[in-house]
Amino acid sequence: MKAEARGKNPSPTMSSMQNPSLFSNSRSSISGAVLTGCLSSLDGACIEKLLLHCGSALESNDVTLAQQVMWVLNNVASAVGDPNQRLASYFLRALVSRASRLCPATMSFKAAGIPHRRLMSVTELAGYVDLIPWHRFGFCASNNAILDAVRGFPKIHILDLSITHCMQWPTLIDALGKEPESPPVELRISVLSWRPPTPPLLNIPIEEVGQRLVNFARYRDVPFDFNVIEVGGPLDEEETIFSSSFYDFLLSQLNATMVKVNAEEALVVNIQNWLRYIPDEETSSSESSCDGIMSYRDSFLELVGRLSPCLMTVVDEDCDLGAQSGLTSRIVACFNYMWIPFDALETFLPKDSPQRIEYESDIGHKIENIVGYEGPQRIERLESGGKLCRRMAAMGFISVPFAEETVKEVKVLLDEHASGWGMKKDEDGMLVLTWKGHNAVYAGAWVPHDLTSHQNNLLV
Amino acid sequence: MNDSTASGDDSSGNQAAPPPPKAIAKKKRNLPGMPDPDAEVIALSPKTLMATNRFVCEICKKGFQRDQNLQLHRRGHNLPWKLRQRSSTDAKKRVYVCPEPSCVHHDPSRALGDLTGIKKHFCRKHGEKKWKCDKCSKKYAVQSDWKAHSKICGTKEYKCDCGTLFNRKDSFITHRAFCDALAEETSKPPATVSPLSPPTAASSPPPPPPLPSEHEDSTQTDVVLPDNNNHVTEMLESVKPDSTSGRTLDETPVMTNLTSGSSSNGSSSSNVFASLFASSTSSGSFQSQTAGFSNLFQAIACSDPTPAVAPSSSSEPVALGLAVNQGSSIFGTAGPDHMQYPPAAPPPSLSATALLQKAAQMGAAASNTSLLRGLGIVSSSSSPSVSHDGASLAAGLGLGLACDSGSGLKELMLGTPSIFGPKRTTLDLLGLGMAATGGSTSGLSVLMNGGLDVPAATPFLGREFGGQDIR
Repeated sequence: MKAEARGKNPSPTMSSMQNPSLFSNSRSSISGAVLTGCLSSLDGACIEKLLLHCGSALESNDVTLAQQVMWVLNNVASAVGDPNQRLASYFLRALVSRASRLCPATMSFKAAGIPHRRLMSVTELAGYVDLIPWHRFGFCASNNAILDAVRGFPKIHILDLSITHCMQWPTLIDALGKEPESPPVELRISVLSWRPPTPPLLNIPIEEVGQRLVNFARYRDVPFDFNVIEVGGPLDEEETIFSSSFYDFLLSQLNATMVKVNAEEALVVNIQNWLRYIPDEETSSSESSCDGIMSYRDSFLELVGRLSPCLMTVVDEDCDLGAQSGLTSRIVACFNYMWIPFDALETFLPKDSPQRIEYESDIGHKIENIVGYEGPQRIERLESGGKLCRRMAAMGFISVPFAEETVKEVKVLLDEHASGWGMKKDEDGMLVLTWKGHNAVYAGAWVPHDLTSHQNNLLV
Repeated sequence: MNDSTASGDDSSGNQAAPPPPKAIAKKKRNLPGMPDPDAEVIALSPKTLMATNRFVCEICKKGFQRDQNLQLHRRGHNLPWKLRQRSSTDAKKRVYVCPEPSCVHHDPSRALGDLTGIKKHFCRKHGEKKWKCDKCSKKYAVQSDWKAHSKICGTKEYKCDCGTLFNRKDSFITHRAFCDALAEETSKPPATVSPLSPPTAASSPPPPPPLPSEHEDSTQTDVVLPDNNNHVTEMLESVKPDSTSGRTLDETPVMTNLTSGSSSNGSSSSNVFASLFASSTSSGSFQSQTAGFSNLFQAIACSDPTPAVAPSSSSEPVALGLAVNQGSSIFGTAGPDHMQYPPAAPPPSLSATALLQKAAQMGAAASNTSLLRGLGIVSSSSSPSVSHDGASLAAGLGLGLACDSGSGLKELMLGTPSIFGPKRTTLDLLGLGMAATGGSTSGLSVLMNGGLDVPAATPFLGREFGGQDIR
């Protein structure tokens, strides 16, 4: 094989050969017209099936079939088409990336032309999280639940585990600033120095984000402190995120000392779009206190429980793409799920909006991980709200329902957005953001079941 | 998700439909229309409806949009006093139906009594949205709706000192917390806070006037801080450098190296794969006919619509940082792997290339095998002319063609470009050197035939089957 030789050659000039008439927007030839007609019959259900077939082809190592399906998908996918087409283009990328690893001798998909995602500034990120209510829903529900839970406590400590770089907190700080209590409630927020390697990405370190929060809190007359818990050591190296020692180490840092739990403070653990990065494979963990087989996720929850928080809020995406799902089912589930934000963006932003493209590209990044990788490299292990509820119950947590006021606040929030967004309260007590009736994001709150005595101590 | 299939179907339905109305319980009210069973039902064509005016002068039949205008006009007729008043016996009450047959108001029992109302209804529901708000790009079909919105848009607003407007409080608060303008304002530094203002001020073009340190929302900040980057730089100097930034610096050279290639590729195809499937063989690139995937990835390398990024100061190297380096091996072992998901694939037992080679050596397949039929995704609306297109699709796959999938096939294979546009030298997708025009007798057994007419195989027609050997 001459693959290695090929590598030395310059890549062909593609520009002259791009054929826009491949896509339905061509009118330049009869073929274009036919293309329009036939492609329009390829709707989301067709694309889903194509993806399914590609996935099963890859699972069974039938590269040829996979290639053929990809060829068809290529003619359907379009980065500037309708949501299904746009989504399909990211899926195709991920599948190609995956398939390339089946033939490593001939190619490696390392640096194949997808540019780096631009890093955002902090104000851009502030706009990004409010583009659609995807994040704001969780922020609103959690913040309200937190305020309810800490009422009466003079000091609050929030351990923030999230991927949105503290975008949740300005509204909480603002709400605290409004409360007519004197003396004002003291707030402290801690974050980890490590963050899952996933978008949205910021161009400044978390310390600076914290600094800005400090300024803002001062402006709102809220006594505020911000710390970064150094979870250094093995976490400095990227590769180790895929090894179990990484998680062992991370979990070992989540103890009362490192977190600086203080008996005078009401501790809140806020987990937003973060829990899914803790592996849920059923393996025996060195941290497990019981003899049973526990996943790191279970161990993590146990550790949190031991910190005796007065509230634990969890917000995540309502889809099951966990460790146990096979490629094909993942592809299908992921396609149907990721369609939701794509469709929401479609109704709200024009096709060429840079904000929309960035947002979609971040989702594409996740798709790449979900579809393109297996095992420890697949860091996006989403778990649906229902499953999480059962997990929390199994780990000894009690669900805390959201107050009616909170529900109203969230409704008001959603009313301000496009009309497809809705919300429901499910029987487990969680709130679920919906788009056109499909579940998008869930928010839930829990306490460890042996908390009451601790609370009494604090209130004395 | 358990209901993935269901939602897949839903999604297909939802594409076409506009967003459904809120499912919140509407105020209960009677069915609109027909309060007066004696009213005369008028059905007008869309054109007439739009042209009809609500207020008509009984004397000269001139029409007006507004009653005041009509009254003004009537004065001009010099009517005797009695007749100045409107006649008490009004014309019979009229109700109007919506001209759109599929509309619920098309039914006479649901006619609307107000001409203006039915006109607006028709425009809103069935008309083109011609009026667009400048500020927020919302579109309206009825001008009065647009006007009403424009009044509100941006008025119920929160304004940050930096000048950005928000119409929602939480987005305003979030922005404000992180906005430079705030930092500027509150940055009279106590001992513990690293000084934000002085160094930043020095770097901003016009030096800001000394700011009073007040806590209210003041608009006295004359100078909006320059782009974040300056500020950031200052901050980084004063912030304790942590392991992440150290890491970033290490990686920057590598990332830069990787991205330098991508920027020079410059292809602006809106679809990564268009170039793959359509692209040519410029001289050197096809010597290794081994792997179709390599072509795929070159194409990916060359085109991408998403914006490029400066990888300079991230605290996480970006996994999407897949740049191509034209000069060196894309597919080889270029450099350390800084991808977030380092591939760790074991060597497969049979590579794609070998598979394809094998298949190419096989004889012609049964002519009616259809890939998509086999996959069960044939759309029921495939047209009868599909077979020809199917053949072209097969050609598109660079696969061997079935012998008799249609009379047009040979033509296609022979490169008759008339239907399909100018001849192109095209990419030998799968690295199979197709024996000149005799390609119709070799190739893989699977082919798209009638399943899915995607004659986007265009670029493959008229391709030169240069007799490159399969290696």
